[in-house]
Amino acid sequence: MPQTTIYAAPQAREQTPPPAVATHELARLFGRSAALVAVSIRVVRGATVALLGPNGAGKTTLLRILATSLQPTFGSAQVDGIDVARRPDAVRPRVAYLSHATGLYDDLTATENLRFAARMHRLSAAQAGEAATRALREVGLLPDADRRVRGFSAGMRRRLALGRLLLRRPSLILLDEPHAALDPGGMQLVDELIRQWHAEGSTVLVASHQAERVIQLADGWARLDSGELTEVGGDGVTVPATQPVGAPVPAVGS
Amino acid sequence: MNSLLADAAVAWQVARKDALSELRGRYLAGSTLFFAALVLLLFGFALGPDSRRLAEAAPGLLWLAIVFGSLLTVARLHQLEAEDGALDELARYPVERHAIFLGKALAAMAALVVLGGVLLPVVAILYGIDLAGAWLALLAALLLGAAGLAAVGTFYAGVTVRMQAREVLLPLLMLPVVAPLLLAAVKATTVALAGDPFGELSAWLQLLAVFDVVMIVAGAVTYGHLLEE
Repeated sequence: MPQTTIYAAPQAREQTPPPAVATHELARLFGRSAALVAVSIRVVRGATVALLGPNGAGKTTLLRILATSLQPTFGSAQVDGIDVARRPDAVRPRVAYLSHATGLYDDLTATENLRFAARMHRLSAAQAGEAATRALREVGLLPDADRRVRGFSAGMRRRLALGRLLLRRPSLILLDEPHAALDPGGMQLVDELIRQWHAEGSTVLVASHQAERVIQLADGWARLDSGELTEVGGDGVTVPATQPVGAPVPAVGS
Repeated sequence: MNSLLADAAVAWQVARKDALSELRGRYLAGSTLFFAALVLLLFGFALGPDSRRLAEAAPGLLWLAIVFGSLLTVARLHQLEAEDGALDELARYPVERHAIFLGKALAAMAALVVLGGVLLPVVAILYGIDLAGAWLALLAALLLGAAGLAAVGTFYAGVTVRMQAREVLLPLLMLPVVAPLLLAAVKATTVALAGDPFGELSAWLQLLAVFDVVMIVAGAVTYGHLLEE
């Protein structure tokens, strides 16, 4: 029955869910400077992966490409099997990104900032109000809900930006230095949120200089240096067999 | 239909957010209105005490003040986004780009209508012109002129917001494009104040409306590319 064989293979492929993140020879240039060089990596769905590396390693560039904020110069990147450069509109609802900048409006209150974000994610007015209150409670800013953000400290702004990630349940959460500017209580909050997202089945990529802290929370890690993928380890993150020249991977596995 | 309503809701949220920031920051009252009133006053000094000459120049000076005010307004509304990465955050929301453009243009238009509404009586007092009987025509000219300025200004503020020399580039890019609007708005205001003796008013208002439609459509179609880095 050759016909059966022919049709069975594609069906089997379709039933296998794509990885949460898959990049293929991903590169990004800024002028003549390469921020990412032929990075090929796969992140399993539901895994928490730490992105490690010194300043200028390419961690933020990788996260920004996955968040659709930056176009790749070469190569491709997919989120849940969707190409981020070709179909950013389909990727955006699946991704939440905490960047270095908080992206807040100073003259709006904490509640108004979160409500605006929730409405932009197509929540109704009632849902947006509930989600904003819930998120403010979770990040410990409910007493400051009606204060304008202009008067917030850097740590409070960071907490509020974290609260924006709690307005919905994205499948991929990208965190860029989430512990920055936070006091010990705030850092503990970030750790708890990462565990919570992991328990809920979201995939989490955390770029951080605090290697020991994030590795404890992560299933696996990937190390970047000068834009090149130099090492991956643990579970949840793999390198395709055809790793390109220019991105050596000395150690794979924990 | 649902898609149109969703886009309208997004545009309203963006416009509301910008209007709240503008009101609470008191940027319109604190700088734009003061600057535009100062422009009117200085032009008045430059033209001298001849009341007839002042009355003839009044429509042109009113619209120059509104255009200068629009430069500050649209730049300020985009500066809100440039602070602390808000523009990148805005670009990552899963919404249509033209809805963001329309929201920002709507907020700018509202600010310019308020600006024009305050400047009209100032012009009447400073330059000795009689506004009675021309209110409706003046309101139509103001609404159409503000819409066009807001559309062009929002687009070019989007072009320049990530540039270091944006304060210099914005007027250089925007002013040549709004020249036809300025001409039509000044003419419409002039004939409205004169009682429209030759029935020209509707033609000038139509020209303003066509300019608005072209600029709003062009801005809505292309604004999305400006949000990408």
